[in-house]
Amino acid sequence: MNKNDFILIGVILLIIGGIFFITTRSNKKVNTASVYYDNNLVLKIDLTLDEKEYIVDGYNGPVTIKAGNGKIKVEDEDSPLHLCSKQGYIDKSYESIICLPNKIVITFDDIDNSIDTVVK
Amino acid sequence: METKKFTRLSLLLALSVVLNLIEVIIPIFNGVIPGLKLGLANIVILFVLMTYSFKDALYVSILRVFLVGILRTGLFSMPFLFSLGGAILSIIMMSISKKITKLSVVGISIVGSFFHSLGQILVACLIIGTKAMMYYLPLFLLFSIPTGIITGLITKELIKNLKTIDSNY
Repeated sequence: MNKNDFILIGVILLIIGGIFFITTRSNKKVNTASVYYDNNLVLKIDLTLDEKEYIVDGYNGPVTIKAGNGKIKVEDEDSPLHLCSKQGYIDKSYESIICLPNKIVITFDDIDNSIDTVVK
Repeated sequence: METKKFTRLSLLLALSVVLNLIEVIIPIFNGVIPGLKLGLANIVILFVLMTYSFKDALYVSILRVFLVGILRTGLFSMPFLFSLGGAILSIIMMSISKKITKLSVVGISIVGSFFHSLGQILVACLIIGTKAMMYYLPLFLLFSIPTGIITGLITKELIKNLKTIDSNY
């Protein structure tokens, strides 16, 4: 490894820091979550309510979602590695749960959408 | 294409497919970051790029993605498309950095690893949606540095040793 390699690593770390800063700075209070199946919205969950179980259809069968009190998680699903149920609760607006085998994506909805228009 | 080069490239292609199949069994941070791999196949691609040409490396890289697609993930499945996006972006950026910068093999390997992750995420953004994937981006990019260094160091040794073997014949 020479000097240029270390400069490269430094530049990459700066880029990562920048992206991380931008994504975490956009954290806002979450009050609703959207569940998508194959890019179609199938369920909107009010997170201000107490914790409750919801069941949606995934590609491999039913997906059980536990949500409420400002957080959401996948409780049970059928996939080879069970990555999204292992992920546990998410509660920050920039976080998301993606279950590729079941084609399920869970994201939070921002209270105010103006940030998105600025970025675009 | 001369026979010796043809045979060697075929063997290297087979090797890259086997490395790809093996590394799926090796769990690193399994469950914490889905889909994170060492990128051992990059050793082969980088080796071909350094000792042959960009065109040869591109052929081997794309054929590898198709063979792994047939053997493991399924042709034109989601992981296949991620892999194809990553592989093409990675080989192009490695070739550019080999030509215009003074990076060592390890540096070029880091570039490849970085853009392999970025390419995969960009394809994922197109399929799944930008907002959901942004959360994974810094994590993937961060891990591309150590994995790039590891594969880069292995490639460096490989180039050195294979040169000695070749000169003995």
